[in-house]
Amino acid sequence: MSETAKAEEIFETMGAIVTRWTMGSTAASAASFWRTELGDDPVEAELRLLALSGQFLGATVMAEAPSTLRILPDIPTLALPTVPEALRPLVCRILAASKDTVSRTELVHFLAARGWTTHPADWMPDASDEDAPDVYALWRDWAAFTAAGETTRRQTGDQLTADNWDDFWPAARKAALIGLRRRDPSAARALLEAKLGSENAEARLRLVSLLSERLSGDDVAFLESLAANDRAPKVKALATSMLARLGHGPAAGEDIAELAGFFAVKTKGLLRRSRVIDFQTPKTPAQWQRRKALLDGTDLTSFAGALGLTPQDLIAAWDWHVDPAADAGLIKLIVETGTDAQLAQAAGVVSELDATGLIAALAPRLGPAERARFAAAGLRAHGIGFEMAQVIAGVAARLDDPLAAPSGAKLLAGIRRDDAKPSDHAGEFRALGLLASQTAAQQTLQRLTAAGLLQGDPRLDMLRLNAALDDEGEKS
Amino acid sequence: MAIGLKAVEQLATDQSSLKAAAGLAKPAKWSGVGGSADGALIWGECAGSGANPYRVMADLRDLGNKCTCPSRKFPCKHVLGLLWLNAESIVPFVPADTPAWVSDWLGRRRGPSAARPPGAAAPSGEKDLHVARNVEPEAVEDPKDIARREAQAAKRNEDTERAILDALDALEQWIGDQLRLGLSGFIDDATARCRRIAARLVDGKAAALAGRIDELPARLLALAAGDRPRGTVVELAKLVLLARAFRATPRDAEIRRAVATSETRETVLADPRAPRIDAPWEVLAEQVQTRRDGLVSQTTWLLNLATSGPRFAILLDFFPASAGRRGSVFTPGERFQGELVFYPSQQPFRALLVRRDAADDTSALEWPVPDGSLSDALTRPLLAEPWAIELPLLLPQGRIARDDSGSAWWRSADGTATLPVAGNAEGLLSGTELTRTAAIWSGNRLTILAAQSTWGRIGGHV
Repeated sequence: MSETAKAEEIFETMGAIVTRWTMGSTAASAASFWRTELGDDPVEAELRLLALSGQFLGATVMAEAPSTLRILPDIPTLALPTVPEALRPLVCRILAASKDTVSRTELVHFLAARGWTTHPADWMPDASDEDAPDVYALWRDWAAFTAAGETTRRQTGDQLTADNWDDFWPAARKAALIGLRRRDPSAARALLEAKLGSENAEARLRLVSLLSERLSGDDVAFLESLAANDRAPKVKALATSMLARLGHGPAAGEDIAELAGFFAVKTKGLLRRSRVIDFQTPKTPAQWQRRKALLDGTDLTSFAGALGLTPQDLIAAWDWHVDPAADAGLIKLIVETGTDAQLAQAAGVVSELDATGLIAALAPRLGPAERARFAAAGLRAHGIGFEMAQVIAGVAARLDDPLAAPSGAKLLAGIRRDDAKPSDHAGEFRALGLLASQTAAQQTLQRLTAAGLLQGDPRLDMLRLNAALDDEGEKS
Repeated sequence: MAIGLKAVEQLATDQSSLKAAAGLAKPAKWSGVGGSADGALIWGECAGSGANPYRVMADLRDLGNKCTCPSRKFPCKHVLGLLWLNAESIVPFVPADTPAWVSDWLGRRRGPSAARPPGAAAPSGEKDLHVARNVEPEAVEDPKDIARREAQAAKRNEDTERAILDALDALEQWIGDQLRLGLSGFIDDATARCRRIAARLVDGKAAALAGRIDELPARLLALAAGDRPRGTVVELAKLVLLARAFRATPRDAEIRRAVATSETRETVLADPRAPRIDAPWEVLAEQVQTRRDGLVSQTTWLLNLATSGPRFAILLDFFPASAGRRGSVFTPGERFQGELVFYPSQQPFRALLVRRDAADDTSALEWPVPDGSLSDALTRPLLAEPWAIELPLLLPQGRIARDDSGSAWWRSADGTATLPVAGNAEGLLSGTELTRTAAIWSGNRLTILAAQSTWGRIGGHV
């Protein structure tokens, strides 16, 4: 018998041998081809057969690959380069030290603002990661179509149109739509009008929210149709809030008179008489709650109108810091239903006060330059901490000398204290790293190490990354 | 920032620590010694009794310190040794960027209170540097004593061998019983049955074999249910082969290592047959795992970047779980030029790190091409070591594919080989061409340690 024939015979018998052992029967009698090797002692023969069979099965038999294997497509290259190789370990360490998704998201947004992306071995967004910067759209879609079991990416043109809408995966479509909205707001709206109906409620909500970019009177008709006809309450609410931002609030009902009853407009001053809002403080918890519910349910224009004022006058006449709950309610109204001009007005007024929380609430609707300006002002004039400043500024601030602020002096004093611990102020150092410009990050590092911090101190990782990473981002 | 020897003396917990530290305060024991530019931090790697070196670090401002050794003494002799090197300037502490492992420690430190300030009172007993420095003259031994000791050692060796052979008899008996009782019953009750025979093997001084059998149920469970009978036959067959190999050559160090215990570091270092390889190495992966027998194993896989020599090395250390969590010694992807001594074997794989050079010109080296054909690499090692459970492999160009159930397979670019992959192989690993892949083949699954691609190095999912 040839070697191959014998091997085949062994292979064919192996199934029977393993089955016999599985059931607890002896198997030596089945292996006639190894009769000589197994010998006459029945106990010894089973062990020898076991040794030979195991070696045969271990060396020659392995799981057969199914014929339907599919290869996933290449992970695409993004529009922004990956961070330089030398900085990858630092990025990985910051990612590993980020205990929550929010801080990881902050880091990737910071990198994107500076013109960089992560290496895909270090971090990739999930398909559903709506908070990831738009530059990662291709990777999100890659994750989506690999999870969906597809192997080839659909062909997409550069321009999103009604005809190729379905060829785009969700994240790329969102990114293309944002681009279109910036270039040609009407075309983007027309596209949404044509395609929105075929999307599910969650997708519709995300897509409609994109209209907040360059929102204008041209969008009113479309938003009104959504507010009236969309099937999803959340989409209706969003459309209503956007309409309010355009000065098209809903007709004020009876509730608005009830809300107005919690406030009064008085005049003050003898020569230059000006109006000021007087708060009719609620007397019971139920009243407090009622006022909050009424504030939540209205819009800025209706509220101001009920008091006989324009929104601008209302913001100017508001007496801040008297009723913090009312302050927060008004700011929420402005953020959700105010025009850009009203928002800027409110931000200007509030920034003069020591009201950091209110500025932070307004920040998401402000541009990066304004956010940076308010953060710098807060640091300088109101002594806010770096973490709060970073909340206001976002991730694209590039402040020139944040350490010169009062909080910087406090931080330096803190690290010089005798009982300073190695984990003290970790959040403040991280925020500093996100706030500073590259040059400022380099100078800040020097000053902190001169003040006694070790160069390798992990609290300085974000500053070190900022200092070492060339700023290739768009400057606003 | 300078410290004096007085500080080392005060920091030591007892005279024996100080004495041990004196023995370590020699350049030959250390590699990778460095310090931060401001002189506040110092670090170094000290060769201990294990395969991996210990990483030692200290903050000179408050003498806070950390070492990766499992010693319960704080500070341990390695820290004292490092401080001693610094105090007496025995080696230069070259200013360098703080390594990641030092930064990690800094981030986790509990604060200065955790370290004893230099002026604090001595913790216990009287200690004296001068006494510690004194090398006690070796007593001249009586030749009769030597002869008696050698005879005792030979007797002990014989006793051990006898005990192991008895234990192996019990093992074979046990394997025969499992066949007779039916492997389906064995598969259902593998953990308890394996535990019993493992305990018998421990009593019989076959500790390595016992550890292997303790881990056997976990390996079976990792298989698809339908593949477990085959997997059981392969596992039990390897035990029979190993037992027979021991009976044939009980003094063979390689087989003894697989059955009983490994040689000590000193024995391997002194063995002229142990190959010493000075080469550029890349750390493929590191794994710290708690085993069923209560030991924690620390495994480091290394890839030899030179054109010849053993392609892989594994640094393996065990320590009791009660010694606490141990920090990583290496960072995956890290490269170094260094000398390894391999445990004598037909296929040198397990090794000890002898020396690690400071010079670092290894970054430009490419991963080597696989030495032979893949089918050879999968089977040839089994001719020499049929009981081996894991084979390191360097795979040629290939790619991860998925089957209908979402399981991952590695497929060679030429389509001739397709191997099942353990775990999910997600993200970048599955979305790019893998020019080279380093993996462990365990007879039925490929565990990817690391791979090279157009995106650069990708870590596996160990």
